[in-house]
Amino acid sequence: MSGKRIIKSIYPALILVVLYVVITTLRSVKVLNGYYIQVLMFASINIIMTSSLNLVNGFTGQFCIGHAGFMSLGAYGASVITSMVFKNAPAGATIPVYLLGLFIGGCVAAFFGLLIGIPSLKLKGDYLAIVTLAFGEIVRALLRLMKPIGGARGMIGIPMISNLGWIFLFLGIVLYALRNLIYSPFGRAFIAIRDNEIAADAMGINTTFYKITSFVIAAFIAGLAGGLYAHVVGFIQPDSFSFTKSSDFLVYLYAGGSGSLTGSIVGATLLTILPEILRFLSEWRLVIYAIILVVVMIYRSEGLVGGKELPFLRITRKDLYGGTLPQASSAGGKEET
Amino acid sequence: MSFLEITNLSIRFGGLVAVDDFNLSLEKGELVAIIGPNGAGKTTIFNMLTGIYKPTTGSIVLDGENMVGLKPYQFARKGITRTFQNIRLFSNATVADNVKIAHTMHNNQNLAKCMIRTPGMRKSEVELDRRVIELLDKLGLADKADFLAKNLPYGDQRRLEIARALMTEPKILLLDEPVAGMITTELEDMARLVPQIRRDFDVSIILIEHHMNFVMPIADRIKVLDFGKTISEGTPEYVQKDPKVIEAYLGGGYTQNGTA
Repeated sequence: MSGKRIIKSIYPALILVVLYVVITTLRSVKVLNGYYIQVLMFASINIIMTSSLNLVNGFTGQFCIGHAGFMSLGAYGASVITSMVFKNAPAGATIPVYLLGLFIGGCVAAFFGLLIGIPSLKLKGDYLAIVTLAFGEIVRALLRLMKPIGGARGMIGIPMISNLGWIFLFLGIVLYALRNLIYSPFGRAFIAIRDNEIAADAMGINTTFYKITSFVIAAFIAGLAGGLYAHVVGFIQPDSFSFTKSSDFLVYLYAGGSGSLTGSIVGATLLTILPEILRFLSEWRLVIYAIILVVVMIYRSEGLVGGKELPFLRITRKDLYGGTLPQASSAGGKEET
Repeated sequence: MSFLEITNLSIRFGGLVAVDDFNLSLEKGELVAIIGPNGAGKTTIFNMLTGIYKPTTGSIVLDGENMVGLKPYQFARKGITRTFQNIRLFSNATVADNVKIAHTMHNNQNLAKCMIRTPGMRKSEVELDRRVIELLDKLGLADKADFLAKNLPYGDQRRLEIARALMTEPKILLLDEPVAGMITTELEDMARLVPQIRRDFDVSIILIEHHMNFVMPIADRIKVLDFGKTISEGTPEYVQKDPKVIEAYLGGGYTQNGTA
């Protein structure tokens, strides 16, 4: 019984490990080249970004459209740590410095998330969209002016430490933490605010507090993803994190299906890989990509997975009791009368 | 001083006085009904009693504590919870989750514990689930715990709203037209349920309703509102015979068995 539960709780991690082993094996026998590996790393980073955006837009019902701004803060924060502050760290300290950089990057993004979240999330309605849109552009403009960190030309020589292993590790941690959060009192409060803010308020939920919490967590995760990204490419510039980038994450989110972590995984993975597959079309690539998106939105407006969730990305009432509900009276899982 | 003391409560919207000089003393365990024609200001009173509107003048004192100026979630935390006339459930959440959401303010598991899902957190989730099922069982909804709220039939949605309000552990429960739009059998169920809730959960209840047949047998006292003013108050028997009430609200043709 308990052995079975342990296996059940770690098998999602096993999936990632198996995937990692398979990919690295394929890489070592030269079936996959470095380009494929990089696409996979970008896909994983995009999953992290999309699920963090999902927390705000999909689960809390707010509308953040400047998520790349947080990603850039994280990318710059982490890169400053690894390639400037601890530039001359001994070889053995590379990994601790890298992890510290990722953490600091996340914190910088979370700090700015708090800073703009406090005034704008007190308001109701669509103000957050306007504020985050402006925020993303302000961050970009300010970074362009900051000469010590490269200004508009960007930062070069960032150690390329992020490999598929690290990225998978953080992907696993982020998805696990987000799932746990969503199926907790916090996540239920987020969903309550999304479904009916007035009722949430009337049930004793401090909606402003929970909206800010959701937003700051999302900003932290986006910052983390930014740090991972910077250490994949080794070069970042303010214009890598423009509004176009933010809108990419929105597209991944809504094409995959908002309000579902599975949707974020499917959306980000497919739509990161799709443009690469379509490369043979050269200049027609983006046209076809856009047409595919339009078709998806027309025929599956609720997203590709439409609110469904993989078993290990949700926690049902059955899971609480380790598989079986205490009374026979429950209808268990049925959703339609 | 009573448990809940509402004095000289008034609210203006521009030139319109929606509620004028409303007074109510509510004792623990009492059930008071507010009746009156559409637009009389009944729901506006509820909106002031839950912090959605701030009264222009007057005071709301719960257990010796002034409530005016608090935010809606603070009203709920102090022990006044409501249901809504136009049902406001968390429609994409399950029935069980709707009720669990109302327990959020009593949650003692912090963010880190929730993200890691510590054994203590799991245990509190199981305990919460047991309590929720127990509560749903009392309201006859236990077998629908895993349904999405939006898929429930209308009468069940109304009862889920009450279950959700009860989960906040209120001292005072405000029911805004709990039988609006219900068919006779559902109405009879509710007429049994409301006094039972009052007994089992040890709450005072303020009830807004149009259905006279529903209100008369269960209310201790009735207040009658018309155009924001209190025109009559007293026992159901007294109010029913008050000529002012008959004229303003019930109309000339009202009989013992009729509905307004």
